Amino acid sequence: MGYNLIYGARGRVDLGNYILKELLKNGKLSLRFKDSFYSCLSCNACLQVCPAGVNAGKVSELSRRLIADYDSFTTENEQKTAKMIVNVTMKYMNPLGVREKCANWSRDIAFDSKSKSLFYTGNMFQLMPYSISLGKMKKKIGKKISDRISEFISNHPSFIKIVGMSADRDLSDRMREELRNIVRLLKDSGISFSYLGEDEPYPGTFLYDLGYEKEFSEYANRVYSLFKSKGIEELIVLDPHTYDILSSKYPKYVKNFDLQVVYYLDLLDISKFNRTNVKTTIHEPCLLVRGSKENNSPVEILSKLSDLELPNRNGKNTNCCGGPDELLYGEIAERVAEERFTQLERVKAQKIVTACPVCFANLNKKSNVVELPDFLTTISGEK
Amino acid sequence: MDIKSDLKKISGENILTSQEELIPYVRDASPFHGEPPLAVAIPENVTELSRIVKYCYEHDILMVSRGGGSSLTGSSVPLGEGIVISLAKFDKILETKIEDRYVVAESGVRLDALNEHLSNFDHFYPPDPASSRICTVGGTISTNAGGLRGAMYGVTKDWVLGMEVVLPNGEIVQFGSKTLKRSAGYDFTSLMIGSEGTIGIITKAILKIWPKPEKTGRILSYYEKIESGGKALAGLKAKGINPLIAEFMDRISLESMRVAKGIGYPERTNYMLMIDIASTAESLERQMNDAAEILKEFNPISLKLTTDKREMSEMYEARKGLYSTLLSQRKSASEYLILGDVVVPASELPAALNEIERAIKKHGIFVSIFGHIGDGNIHANIFSDPDDVENMRRVDNFQMELGRIALSHGGSVSAEHGVGIEKKELLKEEFTMRNSPGTLSLMKAVKLAIDPKNLMNRGKIFD
Repeated sequence: MGYNLIYGARGRVDLGNYILKELLKNGKLSLRFKDSFYSCLSCNACLQVCPAGVNAGKVSELSRRLIADYDSFTTENEQKTAKMIVNVTMKYMNPLGVREKCANWSRDIAFDSKSKSLFYTGNMFQLMPYSISLGKMKKKIGKKISDRISEFISNHPSFIKIVGMSADRDLSDRMREELRNIVRLLKDSGISFSYLGEDEPYPGTFLYDLGYEKEFSEYANRVYSLFKSKGIEELIVLDPHTYDILSSKYPKYVKNFDLQVVYYLDLLDISKFNRTNVKTTIHEPCLLVRGSKENNSPVEILSKLSDLELPNRNGKNTNCCGGPDELLYGEIAERVAEERFTQLERVKAQKIVTACPVCFANLNKKSNVVELPDFLTTISGEK
Repeated sequence: MDIKSDLKKISGENILTSQEELIPYVRDASPFHGEPPLAVAIPENVTELSRIVKYCYEHDILMVSRGGGSSLTGSSVPLGEGIVISLAKFDKILETKIEDRYVVAESGVRLDALNEHLSNFDHFYPPDPASSRICTVGGTISTNAGGLRGAMYGVTKDWVLGMEVVLPNGEIVQFGSKTLKRSAGYDFTSLMIGSEGTIGIITKAILKIWPKPEKTGRILSYYEKIESGGKALAGLKAKGINPLIAEFMDRISLESMRVAKGIGYPERTNYMLMIDIASTAESLERQMNDAAEILKEFNPISLKLTTDKREMSEMYEARKGLYSTLLSQRKSASEYLILGDVVVPASELPAALNEIERAIKKHGIFVSIFGHIGDGNIHANIFSDPDDVENMRRVDNFQMELGRIALSHGGSVSAEHGVGIEKKELLKEEFTMRNSPGTLSLMKAVKLAIDPKNLMNRGKIFD
């Protein structure tokens, strides 16, 4: 697939150019480009290697919007899953209709219900077990049947509840534990916060990524209003995707967006952790290293607390984990993850650390792969 | 005859035919647009490739081979009704023999990927065009690409020992060998280098490799006049110092790097020299100080020495990315950059640059100049606006004059980008000015001897 130029940055830029010209000339799209732009990982790795400095990621983002706006999906090529996600998200404020279940991890944890700082998971950790499970199911039943199911759910969103049975149990346990780890780490650093529990909404990342700008705009304003109605002033976010959508996209779509968005790593008191001699390597999340975030980076933390050796591709040149393609283009996601995992294994570290639930779900191929909160909890002596 | 279905019988899923899939193959990194091909073939191996080529040969179908698509002269743009053959799947490194200092790589391997592999053995493949992240072994052989390290290591032709080629009739042949020495008849390896896919498709190559320099340091020296820079470099060479890299950049280039990368430069600077010295850990400091002393004799505005890897890497990447950063200097969105590429003997460079500066003024165009001062390679980057007919006329005239200036100083109209579509007229001019039109006739005769139907990359290098 990757050998075909339409699945590469250059090809996407050429196709984007073609789309613009065709729209200007004819006011409609005659060709079908969806697979090219929807398979883009949005990792912005292309920006680091393009000798002409063209931002092919941005081209994909804008083209997805045009394809959605002009409904330029063909019957045979249409990504039913995408439409399903949009409709279900709008109805349940969760892309898989499992909003209530996303609060299960928090049982027995005491939050400060009066705090105006909100522990906001964005449902990301909780959704990964469903996403992985759905990917496996799609592979098993084939594209044709999978498209039919998606089309049906798209028209009858209530039937999405069926996916409640299909979360990957092992991953679900790991993700649940990661969230609890983050709570512990923050509390140990003296931070108090509230949590919305079953009322917690998904931030709408998929709507934006799939190009449904109008729906995203409407949705983002709903989410913002919900936070405001609860008296929230600050959002403590836990993953790069939620951080990115809230800090760089919400302010453009929500008028007078005035919530403080804080990354949880910035709140941790690193001096409280014991340094370990464990040799580590890290898969840096694309959105952190190539995004706008300037913070207590996972690399800084790990280099202070462990014997960190970076993989060959690191920093702005890091490769993606493949995660963003998991639901729509599982085959691409799998191949990208395999390639990245091989690079990480070459370091021969005792622990391969990830710092994003999406990255973890895709790179969790051996028992030495750990999420950063898990690693930090271990060395802080909590485990 | 149904070409598409016939090709699919040979290559199945590896044949692309939908209109959407063909669009990206109409262009390369040059300003030229070709015609949509009938199909794109992305064969898995040489046997499959050979069968495709044989079919095309038997049915008179034009063929254009494509590596990374980074040609700046239109070498991989399809002209006429034919197919594009992508070498994207020829991406494996087949053999690495450190003790014999060679590596065997398929032609679709990208240069940075090759060097990433070789760095595991503390070796490298020296040719390093600015597009090394995307350009391929096959493409760089086909254009005899150069790069920043040419001052010390030469260009691609100095590093190719042999290759496997599929000829226009589909026959698979082997040229050269794995040895440094070989005296066995015509040197077809050399013939293939710079042939731009017109006489065969390279499928794999035996490349020389070299141990990485133990340690490197950098001197940046800033000048008001390029003559001072040219004399300074000559001064280094006279004292036996052969730089690893010797680059120059003009003020427009420096300003674009300042805007894009935050790399500053002294106020009065019109030209900067970037000199890299490679040596052993023990002697690097002494050699850098020696070089700095020589450079000081030629009145630089200032001089900066560093061995900091990060700082050096930032500047190296900024230089390699200069084409893209220069785009920020465009006056309108419709403007694009034509990358002029000529070469003169290194000692002639200051004089040639003065003439080029005068020509820029005469033609009234906006041009940024940088290049490889160590080997006399000048890149005159011309801001061109296809929507402005008068501007394009002046650009064409300047291009022709640029070539003539290089020739008048004993150089050539193409240093490292090849001829492609862009420089066909300039190539004629080169042989005319050198009073050797027979050379071009001989090239055409060789082409027809190997490709009698003129099917491979027709319309490139010459008509």
